[in-house]
Amino acid sequence: MEVAALLTALRTARPQGRAIAGFNFDITTIRRLVIGTKDRETGGPHAPVSLSDSLNARFKLVWDDGRVSRGVMERRAIESDPHPVLASALAAAYDDPDARTILGPSAFPDVPTLDPGTVKLAEGAIDPFVPRLEAIRARLADHGLKTWSGSMQAAHGNTRLLTSAGLDVEAEGTSTSWSVSFDGESVGAGKSGRRLEPFEEFALRLDRLVTLVLALRGTAPARPGGVVPVLFHPGVVEDYVLAVLLHNLDGEQVAHGTGAFTRAQFGSGFASLRPDLTLRTDPLVPFASGAYRFTREGVPAAPVTLIDRGRLATPMLDLKYARRLGLPPNAPPAAMDTLFFEGALAIDEPAALGAAAGGVLVLGVLGVHTQDFTSGDFSLSAPQSLAIGANGFEGRLRGTVSGNLFELLRSDDLAFVRFPGETTPGLLVRCRFDAQ
Amino acid sequence: MAGPASTIVTELEAQTDLAKALIARAQARGAFLIWRAQATRAARLLVRSGRVEEAVVAQGSGHGVHAVLDDGRSAFGSRDDFGPEPSAALLDATIDAASSGGALGVAGGSFAPDAPSTARDLPAGIAAFDALDLDAASARLVALERELTSDLPGVTTTLAFQAVLEVWRILRSDGADVLFAVPRCVLRASLSSSGDARHTVGASLADPSPRMFDDPAAVATFLARARAAGSLAAALPDAPTHPAGSFPLVIDYALAKGLAHEAFGHASEADGFRSSVLARDGRFRSGDTVGPAHVSVIDEPVQGDFAWQPYSATGSPRRRATIVDHGRLRDALTDAWSARGAGTALTGADRAESFRSAPLPRMSNIRIELDDPLPAPGAFEDYSAERVRDLLGDAGIFSRHRRVAFLSGYGGGQVNPPTGDFVFNCKAIYALGPDEVVLHKPAIFSGSMFGALGAVREGFGPLKLDAIGSCGKWGQSVPSSGGSHYFLVLDPDPGVRLGGR
Repeated sequence: MEVAALLTALRTARPQGRAIAGFNFDITTIRRLVIGTKDRETGGPHAPVSLSDSLNARFKLVWDDGRVSRGVMERRAIESDPHPVLASALAAAYDDPDARTILGPSAFPDVPTLDPGTVKLAEGAIDPFVPRLEAIRARLADHGLKTWSGSMQAAHGNTRLLTSAGLDVEAEGTSTSWSVSFDGESVGAGKSGRRLEPFEEFALRLDRLVTLVLALRGTAPARPGGVVPVLFHPGVVEDYVLAVLLHNLDGEQVAHGTGAFTRAQFGSGFASLRPDLTLRTDPLVPFASGAYRFTREGVPAAPVTLIDRGRLATPMLDLKYARRLGLPPNAPPAAMDTLFFEGALAIDEPAALGAAAGGVLVLGVLGVHTQDFTSGDFSLSAPQSLAIGANGFEGRLRGTVSGNLFELLRSDDLAFVRFPGETTPGLLVRCRFDAQ
Repeated sequence: MAGPASTIVTELEAQTDLAKALIARAQARGAFLIWRAQATRAARLLVRSGRVEEAVVAQGSGHGVHAVLDDGRSAFGSRDDFGPEPSAALLDATIDAASSGGALGVAGGSFAPDAPSTARDLPAGIAAFDALDLDAASARLVALERELTSDLPGVTTTLAFQAVLEVWRILRSDGADVLFAVPRCVLRASLSSSGDARHTVGASLADPSPRMFDDPAAVATFLARARAAGSLAAALPDAPTHPAGSFPLVIDYALAKGLAHEAFGHASEADGFRSSVLARDGRFRSGDTVGPAHVSVIDEPVQGDFAWQPYSATGSPRRRATIVDHGRLRDALTDAWSARGAGTALTGADRAESFRSAPLPRMSNIRIELDDPLPAPGAFEDYSAERVRDLLGDAGIFSRHRRVAFLSGYGGGQVNPPTGDFVFNCKAIYALGPDEVVLHKPAIFSGSMFGALGAVREGFGPLKLDAIGSCGKWGQSVPSSGGSHYFLVLDPDPGVRLGGR
């Protein structure tokens, strides 16, 4: 990437007589190819084969009067004339002593994130997608499914981090992902990573999804509402449970008292959640979607334990909120495959289904973004749930699932459940399910 | 009426030669081209505890090329600059991708646009985005936060202000050339209770002008909404949960927007007609009865509104779509790719999140409108739960239902159009009876679209259409808005349920 004009401007710009005393530029280029399918139509007009090429930077400036500016700059400003954006940034400068820190060079870990095959995919060599599309279509025909939607994408990117403290570090990576849903069900299958998973794993994921979609075709006998065993599929755990935890572990929420957890709880030794529950992140997993070398502020990537055996260990902290809370900054999770939610009691899926007889497997929920993440109260629609009987699934139930997440995460009834092919566990809990 | 234009308008006006060169290049290769450029200017402020915690400015621009071959196959490319050489290379790669799509089983489409439009639609006052005084806005936000904090002891207040100007220009091979600007600003408050069981409640107000701080009426409305949200956040930790089930309901206009948006709007978007519950064999079920004869659902752009867009992302004028006309399906939300197949009129409903996105049929401002609504005098913000109870009592609702659940405040929603399953959430539930008003914690409202619309009985008050949101679909997010009469009464329906515990 061409940054000479930018560096010159940062050195010489004097909008309204002000000079730039410090800067942090996180500059990213991405080339991406996406193939969409809507209702069996691959690459149709509403999901066309798409190619994109982008270059942008997130920046922080510290002016010579101590004020701070943040913003986003795109290709033309970076490569040719940054001055207008710098002038706009000065107009938005504000006083924030906690945000002035600029990091210098450091020892950064090496983690594999670049796959040559995916580079070719992102450039348009789409052959590896062809058998996968054919496999999806074959399952449609083999199982009497009516339609499917989804996408496949590949991207190749480069990130360069430049700071006024002498940091100049780069990382190159690829990403690929796919997602599929059948017959309009919002429950689906998919995988993100730095490279395509082996075809056999892809096929197994598809087959597991087909099994669930076929099981949803039958209707379960009506059941009265009440507190029953509820098995949350890993997809629900990611969409809701981990989203709530991460929201409340965000340093910004902690610092301002707008989350569920207070500053005093971190490091206090008091078990806020069940004493065997751990949430940790490891950005150094090779070829994981969430793998990276450094944060956009220059903090080296390293494993972090956020919740340690029920105790709140540390919030997720960027430089600003680390300073404000008097704690060291850390590297946040970038994707679910580098976030590890663990408990002492972990059972496999068949054992969980046996333990949940009389209850439901909740495959997907609607309305996550409508919940109050601070209170942990939840009331979610679960139109894709399977009744669990003594001999397995008894058909589909539509209903609402409700309770308080923090109560569930403190409960002795909680069990972690291993699902094949999933890095995130399912959760077996007891909470209210009201069938329609 | 157009006033002085923003500099980002000028930036797109300067791309005429580039667009025409690309159209000529596409034509030479046998492709029809839709060229779409966007330039944005945005600023966001965040104030907490009496100080600015974040101020972010962003500017960006770029263009997308949607190339359509003679056989209907298409591909889309995008890039964030207007350099002639990279743009030509992007177009060539896009046409190559469309040509080589056979290996993937790429489907063709039928692009049937209306007569090409040549137009400019630039609202007055957009030059103010070039001269946005963020220091003054910050000071005003800090003052507003101080006022709210003194009124709401024990409640943590976060205020945010966002000002966005989007300018779009679309040219097509058939001569269409439209340029329009979409200004939108929004003030948001997020209020959290303190103590062991914290609740957060939000409030917002949208306006097309970045000088909305200077409008006393707008500020008063915003403060009234924020105070109500703060009082609610303080009261919710001690509120009981509402039982689950089907109940007679009253919903406010913001929730009615949610109902219209989630239950009917998405299912009427024509890109999903091979699976939508409102379509049969890919065609919209025009003429089918889906609700009572006094109820209509209408989507149309409203000038100055948060989701206003006068032209579609392919350059067609955006038209009113009466999705439900007095209980019967009539118009779908269609674009030039889908109208013919859907068997309905072209309504120019396609929108794109950015120049990087291929357009999709989307809503703009959607409302539920009733014939002969009952009166509800005064401003909506004047209606406490007690006053809503009195309104219902005066109209005789309690003679039909001994108790009614009043769902107040929109908390977002979601739908699965193939099945018609929808959900949305409120900020609070009040159990209303002739002599009672009892606050309960919010709960999900879910069910089938037909049950919900069929349950609508009375409406109270004038139309109020300023409920705002963000609509996500297919990885793209666009502003949405809408509303209804101040309040709607819904009879119990087994297909529509409140969650609960």
